[in-house]
Amino acid sequence: MRIADTAINVVRAAVSSVTDPEYADLTIQQLGILEDVVADSISIRVDLVPTILGCPALDVIEKDVVAAARASGYDVTVRFCMSPIWTPDRISEDARQILAEEYVVTIRPREGPTKCPLCGNTALQPRSDVGGTACRSVEWCPDCRNPVEVVRSRQMGER
Amino acid sequence: MGNLKRLPRPKKIRITPTNVRLYNGVVRNWPNMDEFEKFLNEGGIVEPNDDIPEGYRNAVFSFIEMHANSEYMGGLTERDWIPKAPGLHRKMTALAKSQDEIGHAHLLYMVAADLGVKTREEMITDLLEGRTHFHNVFHYRVHSWTDQIAVAYLVDAAALASQQAVFKNCSYGPYKRILRRVIAEEGFHMRNGEEMLLLMARGTDVQHQMMQESIDRWWLPSIQLFGPDSRPDDELLRWHIKSERNEDLRDRYIQKFVPQLLGGGFTIPDPGLRQDSEDGKWKISEIDWQPLKKIMRNGGPDSARRISDARRAWYDAEWVRVALDAAAKADA
Repeated sequence: MRIADTAINVVRAAVSSVTDPEYADLTIQQLGILEDVVADSISIRVDLVPTILGCPALDVIEKDVVAAARASGYDVTVRFCMSPIWTPDRISEDARQILAEEYVVTIRPREGPTKCPLCGNTALQPRSDVGGTACRSVEWCPDCRNPVEVVRSRQMGER
Repeated sequence: MGNLKRLPRPKKIRITPTNVRLYNGVVRNWPNMDEFEKFLNEGGIVEPNDDIPEGYRNAVFSFIEMHANSEYMGGLTERDWIPKAPGLHRKMTALAKSQDEIGHAHLLYMVAADLGVKTREEMITDLLEGRTHFHNVFHYRVHSWTDQIAVAYLVDAAALASQQAVFKNCSYGPYKRILRRVIAEEGFHMRNGEEMLLLMARGTDVQHQMMQESIDRWWLPSIQLFGPDSRPDDELLRWHIKSERNEDLRDRYIQKFVPQLLGGGFTIPDPGLRQDSEDGKWKISEIDWQPLKKIMRNGGPDSARRISDARRAWYDAEWVRVALDAAAKADA
């Protein structure tokens, strides 16, 4: 006997709308932080993939996930997974659009130049390897003259 | 111990989705100030490539420079608490917040420098030599961990409220776009402040007392952050650099935070505080603005130490800048 799939689906629906503690219009589902909802005979567990392991917002995300699940009628435990490792590839297309249009944040493509989300210029000038968070670098668009934050597509330490 | 049930749960900050992607590449110029102000009144957004009137350029520059200086000084204050914060989790939070603030300062200095009034080096030198200004709240000493909580709870909330008001109607495109990010990140800082305050409110009598003493020290500086009443001819309002009068922002803050603090079993250090019997609004005593004027000329109780600490941090890190420059040249 295991917990019914319907319960898992209810929890999945509830926790996928939990938003990022900073970016209130992006969900943990869109950002690729939500990995899976799993159940055994007695409990339901939500697996999350942190963007960085040292993220100080993890306990806030955990609390929000537990509260959202409880509001849907189920108590859950949360596990932060050591693998898979989060990469910006996990960010969904619609989240990419919100990041670009609302926040002037873009994701460094695996191939080809990074584009300014405002004017499309591909000749961005690097200004700092790290910005407000370790996962973003800061560049300057000399055409529309706005700073652009770029989410790295590789882990820290790689060039 | 107060009645904790009355303390409302921290609310998640939500910003009405406003698409800040307003850039369309059109370069504009205006024949005179009347036309320019008409453009602003109709909700026009000024871009760096526009032919920007000198008065507006200087006003928006000074405003952003002051904001950048404040983020920078705030980041350094936060940094002081990384080694002293109780426990690994609080240290990580202090580290992340400090990095956020310095990151905000970096973006703001880039946009300010682009306005062509001063270079970034000139802005930093002016700040470190005490020639320019930063928010009043960073001119006081943070005495204890509960002071740091009061700063995170009261001061960050006041700063956030004023940034939200600027963002709402800000006419300078690049600044508005940075504010969008700053507000998103500051909202998280505030939630962190609320969580730490609740912990103290539920703590031992000694912790509660310590927290009360910190609230007593930081209440007045926090409400003074909004500044004295706006002048009727304030050009920052006329040019939509700011969108709300100082007194309106201050009042809204008071209406929100007085009940929150009372609900947590704390008192407000204001013997003249009363609730209006007719409209139910909280009224505070008349504020004496003379001390603030002195503080804003860098003559506050902790100004000299703060500025000299910032100067030391800057020159201690000189070798990093030299090394990075050398590495960049070697790569080129």
